Formats: sequence, structure tokens, C-alpha cells
Amino acid sequence: MTALALFGAAAAAWAAAAIVAWLSGTVRAAMRCSCALSILGGGLAFAGGIAALLRGDSRVVSPGGSAVVGTLQLQATSLAAVFAVLLGIVAVAIGLYLPRSRKETSAQTNLYLGAYNLALIASIAVLAAGGVTTFLVAWESMALLCYLLILHRPRSSEVASGAFWFLALSETGFVLIVAAFVILAAKTGSLSLDVIAARAHLVPADWRDTAYLLALVGFGFKAGLVPLHVWLPAAHPVAPADGSAFLSGLIVKLGVYGIALFAFRLLPEGPAWRGIVTMGLGALTAAIGILYAMAERDIKRFLAFSTIENIGIIITAFGAAMTFLAYGQRALWAFLLLAGLYHVLNHGCYKTLLFLEAGVTEHATGTRDMDRLGGLARAMPRAGVIAFVGTLGIAALPPLNGFVSEWLIFQGLFQGFRTHSDLVAILIVVAAATLGLTGGLAIYAFVRGFGIPYLGMPRTRQAASATEADQPVYGPALLAIACVVLAVGAPVVLVGLATAIRTATGVALRPILLPGKLTVIPAHTNFSGFSPTYLTVFLLAVLVVPVLIYLAGRPRAGSTVVPVWDGGMLAFRPRMQYSAMTFSAPTRVTFDALYRPSVSVERASDDPAGRSGPVHYESQATPVFERYLYRPVVAGVEWLADFVRPLQSGDVNLYLLYVFVAVLAAYLIVAL
Amino acid sequence: MTTSPADLTDAIAETGEELRRRVASQFRRSLHIRTLDTGSCAACEQEIRLLAAPHYDLHRLGFFFTPAPRHADLLLVTGPMLRAFAAAARKTYDAMPAPKIVVATGACALGGVYQPDAFCFGSADEVLPVDVWIPGCPPSPLALLHGLLVAVDRLAEKVPSLSFTVGGTA
Amino acid sequence: MPQWFVRGLRRGVVTTRYPARPEPSARDLPGPPAFRAGALSQRSADALVEICPSRALMRTGNVLVFDVGACTACGQCRDHAPEALMPTGEFELATTSRRALIKRIPLLADGEVST
Repeated sequence: MTALALFGAAAAAWAAAAIVAWLSGTVRAAMRCSCALSILGGGLAFAGGIAALLRGDSRVVSPGGSAVVGTLQLQATSLAAVFAVLLGIVAVAIGLYLPRSRKETSAQTNLYLGAYNLALIASIAVLAAGGVTTFLVAWESMALLCYLLILHRPRSSEVASGAFWFLALSETGFVLIVAAFVILAAKTGSLSLDVIAARAHLVPADWRDTAYLLALVGFGFKAGLVPLHVWLPAAHPVAPADGSAFLSGLIVKLGVYGIALFAFRLLPEGPAWRGIVTMGLGALTAAIGILYAMAERDIKRFLAFSTIENIGIIITAFGAAMTFLAYGQRALWAFLLLAGLYHVLNHGCYKTLLFLEAGVTEHATGTRDMDRLGGLARAMPRAGVIAFVGTLGIAALPPLNGFVSEWLIFQGLFQGFRTHSDLVAILIVVAAATLGLTGGLAIYAFVRGFGIPYLGMPRTRQAASATEADQPVYGPALLAIACVVLAVGAPVVLVGLATAIRTATGVALRPILLPGKLTVIPAHTNFSGFSPTYLTVFLLAVLVVPVLIYLAGRPRAGSTVVPVWDGGMLAFRPRMQYSAMTFSAPTRVTFDALYRPSVSVERASDDPAGRSGPVHYESQATPVFERYLYRPVVAGVEWLADFVRPLQSGDVNLYLLYVFVAVLAAYLIVAL
Repeated sequence: MTTSPADLTDAIAETGEELRRRVASQFRRSLHIRTLDTGSCAACEQEIRLLAAPHYDLHRLGFFFTPAPRHADLLLVTGPMLRAFAAAARKTYDAMPAPKIVVATGACALGGVYQPDAFCFGSADEVLPVDVWIPGCPPSPLALLHGLLVAVDRLAEKVPSLSFTVGGTA
Repeated sequence: MPQWFVRGLRRGVVTTRYPARPEPSARDLPGPPAFRAGALSQRSADALVEICPSRALMRTGNVLVFDVGACTACGQCRDHAPEALMPTGEFELATTSRRALIKRIPLLADGEVST
């Protein structure tokens, strides 16, 4: 079957799932049936993505349309295929997660499931869009449906605020995306993406660059580039766990897909400064994302900022790729695109996994606050193992998948000197250094993100009484297996991606990447290479050595079991352990200028410390972007609205006057 | 043939001394020291700190300070063993893996200065089994070095043969 | 360059060679005193026992029992009876046996005069 046919089948399955969900009432079996259909759709999308990866660009299919909306144009490109594979995996995982995470089936759940499945259809439509109108309609539908997903529990003002941030920024981005597409469509005279790509050289240079910048900012709102990211930490905590997983796992990737569409398919040729600006924006996003993640106690806000960091890494890779192309290095261009797409796949897997596990944790303990958790790995062993796999992946530690893709990105960035321009080479090195800082901070942040909730002793009774009976486990487990497969099976993944890159860019990377023995040698034979498969086998083999040493050298006398060393305290209470904020204190002190914390301390009395009674300490990082960027903009808009309010006085006579003036003006314009 | 109780006691003491020597000789050139202040005035701590300074340079002898009792071979105790601290001192000692050595230093830990009362035990060996005693108030870093080297059997003790009496017969 | 670096280069190595070689500066360190045998009468010994703030001195019969471990080298006994006490210059006082630190000093018997 062709890829498009598989995508169509997936959409049909999801449509059926949505209908079943709406009609299911309180029948639990019907809800399970809906989830099963959702999983089926995910599998079909996955298969379609693989098919599109291997078979290359299909022709544009126009199954109809109308004169009003324009024709519906669908095409399965290899660039979109990677994202479709991810969509399939995420859909299957969330479909497995959903039934057990919703204890009672209510009207609200049914509406949510329906909206979720429709959002899946909209996402696949964005990826399969072959024309401008199709793309824009699908994009807007996806945004509105995600807004409904976030609004799952509308009673609290936090939920409404988070959802509103999402919608407002999505719409702002949409305006810019429309502008970008309109420029391209007008200058090339066609609404089909293939034709636009073929005729891109007809677009004058400044219009072309303007269109690219509009697309970068417009899609950047969705992808979460700094300073356009503020909806992520607002919306993720308040959405249900699978909603957050869907948002972070897939929806922000659609923003990345949009940027990749403009950067690599529609407008590949361009000046070097485009790539450098993109790369700089990506590096900044990565660093700021992880720094803000360090200051978060709420697990979901923490993961949201980590998403921002990873998107920054991907966009840095894309930007460097564009820079290399501007200097004629086509192999490096294709290579960094491949590395970026690999990271898209990896991040989709482990971020979805971590969000689903955050949902399991919230369900088991009733709280998202890291400082109220602890010891969950003992209370919920399976969740602990799965979350550990996800943490290893996102911290980019060998031998898991995050390491593979970040290694490839670094290898590509280190080739910056091949641009033969000193300034550009230095800028690329600075970007690589920023990514290095980000990588180190990411390990720190995720030691904290895994260690505080899962290790140690439970800090509260809720954490102590957590249990994983009845909790969803197959969805996250599938994603954990996917992480391992993506790592150990990297040669196979690279074959697939290289085939897609060959169709998308015309550069054949496979002979460079996988000569002979399935060893990965990135981009140039002068640089070091490794094979993740060999690395995994080697690490496992090496672990045998300490075991042998222990068996040979252990003391013959028996060993005694003594209590854990706790500093000699007489009554060690779990609250004396590291808290999330004290663990990240060194970073917060070092980067104090970024956080600008506002600290307030209130004592019950003026007596010296120890006798003063209760002390209330509150510290909050200044929301820099909300306060200094968005609030002035909003204030400006409100001022403008106030300014024009007299026009809408409600007086019918005034409105009749407007009508008369408009008719007069139209008459004069036509006449002149 | 029967051995008298006195002979037995001597034999036991000799075996004990040999055991102590064998334990101590394991640490001849690599010793990790954990200091424990059971309520001292910190003069001993200041002298102990100086051991790591360039004048005395503990590290050239292979001795190191470690904060973790799990990594420590030798527990260097100062202070008159306040009752409030006794449980923590015992916990620190228990957390050290065998074989281990306990050295009490300073007049307080040796039983001087403070009488046993409601607040302190008066000497370190009320709570911990002390192997080596280093007198002084505070003991100079040289005295501490000598004591540590005695503890790892690199130097011989001098005090049993000193008489502190001048002239006449001791 | 920081001044201490230049100063250090000029001064050379100041690390003590102890225990390989004896340390001459140890002579001046404060330490427990030595007693002249037969220089103290029982009454003066009782006075010393009274003023020792660390209870390092005790008299049993004609013997002054001196606990070297409890001595803080405060010098009160030397100020009180300077002719009977003198510095030892000993600093290597560590021992594995607590009893080895209890020293017995003979006193003047009643009626005897010190020489």
C-alpha cells in the first residue's frame, strides 16, 4: 500500500475512534474500543511513515475540494515521514496508556477522547499536506483541538490561563505562518508545495528571507523557541498527563516540521546569516530552557522546560546545516539535517515516556511537587525502571538514544572549520559550546528529576503509600523499548533516515555513514566514529569484570549489615533529605542574574534565629519573558483597544454614519 | 601443668597487642583519618587542621583526611565526650568498616579537664574503644604526627620508658 | 605574580623532615613537666594537687601520682614550685596503653629535708 493510503486508513481509524468515544456514554468497553482503534490508527501511521521513508516522495493526490476552500492536496514526503513515524509511536503509546488512566468513564472523558483523536487526524493532515490551504486548515484545526485537550478540567483558573496562553500564542504564530505562505504562494504563483519548492528561485531575495523569518518566528511559537515559549510551562502542568505527552511529544515537533519545511524543502538556498540566526536562536533556547528547568519543583513544568531545551538542540542542528549549505558543504548540510531528525525521533520517545510516567506518579500520589515525593522506585518498581530508561535517554548518556543523536549533532558542529570563514567557524563553535553547557546541565537536572522523586525515602505519607497496581504500564514500557531500539539499532535507523534524506536533499549519506561494518563515522573520515551497537555490547561485557573481581576478592568472613550513614543523626526524618530546590541551588546561585529571584522572609517575631517561631520563606524566579516582553505587548494592545473604543459606542446612528462613509469611500475609490 | 591467672592475662595481653600490631600495619602508608569532635574547645581541631599545611604536610606520609566514616580507617577523637553526642559518636564508629583504629587526643578526651557529670562522660573511652592516646592541650602537630605513626606501627612508643622524674631513682 | 609565590621561592622548602630527622623546633613546645625526685614534701605536693586545674596530680602515701594524659601544660604547678619542676622537651607522648601515662614520683618523707 502506498504511504498516503496508510495515512488515510489511520485517519479513518481515528475518526472511528472519535465517534465511538462520543457515543460510548458510560460504557467502559466502548472506551476501550475507542482506545484500541486509536492504537490501530497509530500503527497504520507508523507503517505509513516507514513506507514513505523508504519509497520517497509520492505524487500529489487531490481527492477533491471545493472552489471556496481550494483543493485538498495530500502528499507523503520523506521529510514528513520521520514525523509520521513518531506520530505513530506516540499514538500507540498514549492509546495504551489511556484506558487505565481514566478510572471512570464520563461525558468529559468521552469529549476528551474525541477531541484527542481528531487532533491526531489534524496532525497527520499537517504532515501529509501537499498544498498551502490544506496545510493551514490542518494546522489551525490541530491548534484548536489541542486547546480543547488542555481545557480538560476547566474549573480551575490555572487551567483556563494555561490553555489561553497556548491558544493566544498559537494564533499569533498562525498569522505569521499565513503571511509566510502567502508571500511564497504569491511570488511563485501556485498553492502546491512541490511547485513552490521547484520555483523557489523565482522569489526575490528579500521576500524570500522575509518569508523564512516569518516562518521561523511563526513556527517558533509552536515549537517553543525562546522567547516564544511561554505557553509551554503554562499549559503543560494543567493538561492531563497524556495531553501533555501529546503536546510535548508531537505538537511541538510539528512546529519543528514547519521550520524544516521552510528551511530544507521550500527555501533551501539562501544567505548564511539565515542559518546563523537560526543556530543562535536554537542555542539560546537550549541554554535558557535547561536553566529554567533547574528551578522547577513541579515535575510537569520541569519536563516542559526540558522540551524547550531539546527543541533548541534540534533547531541549532538545523541552523548549522543551513550555514553549511550556504558555504557549499552539501554533505554536512544533509548530515546535520539527519542528526536533527534523529533527535526529533528520540526526544519524541523519551519525552512522551517521561510525561506519561509523571501522570502515573500524579495518579499514585496525588501531587506533582517533587518535594513531596521520594522513594517511588521502591513503591513502584516498574514505573521506576521505565522512568530510569527515559531519564538515561534524555540526559544523553550512553548507550541510549539521546547520546547517539546528540553525539551526531556535536560531530556535525565540530566540522565548522570546513566553512573556511573564521567568523562563522567561531560562531559554530560557540553554539557547540552552548550545547555542551546544556548537555552538562541536562544531566544535572535529570539526576535531580529522577533522584528526588524516585530515590531516597518518601517525604510525605502520599509518597509512602504510592502503589502501581492498576496503573498504566504498557504505554510507557513500549516507549522505553523504543528508546533502547533507537539506540542499539542505530545503524538500522540511520539507513532509514539516510534514505529519507537522500530523497529530500539529493545527498547520499549512506556510504559515508555506514561503511562496511555498520560503524558510524559521521560526515567526514577524519573525525572519530563509534557504533552504538558495539558500545552497548561492550558496556555489558565490561560490567562482567567488576562482578568477577568481587567474586574473587570478597572477604571470606561474613559481612555485617549496618544502618545507612546519615551523619550521625539520632532521628533522621525524610524531610532532612535533599530537596529539589537545594539540589539545584549551586546552579541557581551561579545564574542568579537570569533567575532574579524575589525572596521574601517573614518571621513570627524578632527573636534570634531558633527562638523566633515559624519562619515563612518564599523565593520565586522572576518570569522574565512574561513580565518584560508579553505584558508590555498586551498592555499596548489594551491601550490601542481603549483608544479605538469610542468608535464602538453602541449608538445605532453612529453605525449608520459609518455605513454611509464606507459606501461613499468605496464609490470614490472606484470612480478614481 | 596449670598456668596461673597472671600468666593467662599476660598471654592474652600479648596476643591482643600482636593483633593490634597486625591491624595497624595494614595502614602503614595509606591511612584515611576521620576527625570527631565530641565537644572540645576546637584548639585540638586547629592543630589537626595544621597537619595538612605545608609545614607538617600529612600527605607525604600517606595520611589523608576524609569526611565519610565509610571511607575512614582511623577515628581521631577530641573532646570530653558530651553525653548528648555519645550516640552520634557510637554511630560514627559503627559506620566505619573493620579493621579500624580509634585515637583519642587532647587532655579532655584522655580524662583530664572535665569530670564526669550530667553533661559529659569525661573521657572518650567511656563510649569508644580507644587504641592510641595522644596527650597534649592541645597536642602540637608534631605530637599528632608521632601519635598517628605509632597508631600505624611505624614508630615506637616512648612514653612507657619515660619517667618524668629527674634525679634519684624512678 | 602573587607575593606569596615569590616569598615561597625565596624561603625554600619549610616542610619538617620529621620523623626521618629530629625536629629542632620541638624543644620549645609547651608540654608536661618533669619533677625532681625528693624535691617536694608531702605538704607542698598536696598544695600542687589542689591547684592543678585538670586533676592530673594525686598523692598516695609518699608518692605523687602524675597523669601525663590529663596534663594541659598550663604551668600552674611550675609557678607554684619552680625549684621542683623543669621542662622535659618531650613531645612524643603517644601510647597504646593509658596506664603507661600514669607516672609515680617519689616525695620527701616526713621529716626529711630536700637536698
